[in-house]
Amino acid sequence: MPDQMLANGDSPELEALFDSIVHQSQPLDSGADTGALPAHRKQSADDMYAQIGLLTRKLHETLRALGYDRYLEKMISAIPDTRDKLNYIARLTANAADRVLDATDIAQPVQDELGGRAGALSRLWQQMFDGRLSVEDLKRLAGETRCFLLEVPEQTGRTSSQLNEIIMAQDFQDLTGQVIKKMMEMVKEIENDLLDFLVTFSPGGLAPATGLMPRNAPPAAPVAQEEPAPTRREVDDLLASLGF
Amino acid sequence: MADNNMRFLVVDDFATMRRIVRNLLKELGFTNVEEAEDGQVALTKLKSQRFDFIISDWNMPNMTGIELLRAVRSEPQLKALPFMMITAEAKRENIIEAAMAGASGYIVKPFTAATLEEKMNKIFQTMQK
Repeated sequence: MPDQMLANGDSPELEALFDSIVHQSQPLDSGADTGALPAHRKQSADDMYAQIGLLTRKLHETLRALGYDRYLEKMISAIPDTRDKLNYIARLTANAADRVLDATDIAQPVQDELGGRAGALSRLWQQMFDGRLSVEDLKRLAGETRCFLLEVPEQTGRTSSQLNEIIMAQDFQDLTGQVIKKMMEMVKEIENDLLDFLVTFSPGGLAPATGLMPRNAPPAAPVAQEEPAPTRREVDDLLASLGF
Repeated sequence: MADNNMRFLVVDDFATMRRIVRNLLKELGFTNVEEAEDGQVALTKLKSQRFDFIISDWNMPNMTGIELLRAVRSEPQLKALPFMMITAEAKRENIIEAAMAGASGYIVKPFTAATLEEKMNKIFQTMQK
């Protein structure tokens, strides 16, 4: 292995680390390692999950109380659409990969054969220049060589069209690029809304609810635009209910 | 050095990746290659047919590469099988985990046929000791 880090991150140091562990540990003979986390780590992981679950429940109830449930429903219903978009991207890139691999499967043998035959003929010509070929053999060699030269354009043409197929298979980049861009915009929008939400309800300030309103909130939503920003008491209650 | 008729099991949930590994193995002269799309399928195949070498990706649904590795190392008739782990990240903790779980070697993707050959030869050399 070249004595520097490879483009994919692998390095002689990493190899040495692997080797040192493999040669000192006896994996699994003791039967102790069942693939589970060590006991103390599992305990705190469980605690974390429980805590997150509790907080999520509290957040959910709070949001419902504030009338955000309908806004969130709309966001959630957008997710299957997002899933479709991701599937679309996966499908396009997989198809492109298949097309490219198919093209190389066709072109590689053509290349190999061309190279092989040229090599064989070349060796025979070398014999001729070494004076080791009879006149008969030379006539035959000349004929075979001429045949070969006539066939080359057809073979290189076949390879060219496979190369072209590989170029054409790259068209997925334009389509997937557009889809990714759309998804990024959607994600940024949600992120902005969440940030507004957090800022509004942060302990620091009672900033007016800029950007807080769901853009298409139904008129019946409890939090209407004319209402004042949440009172100190509401914020306190909210924070208390969130366990802060 | 190695028998060209060695039976490989390539485990990866991405069909494209399995195809690429198969092509690389072919370049190295190994044409006896089977595939599995996750650890569970791989384990079933390993238990019912004879294999000589396992190349497995790390992140897969149903059963990850590490889980498959541990399962293989705990089966009496499979535990001596050479197992190369493919990992997408050359991070120390990944390498450590693979080594401790009993991997025979690791390889970071993307990789070339030359790298694959190097890593495989390393495993063969260790096996011969």
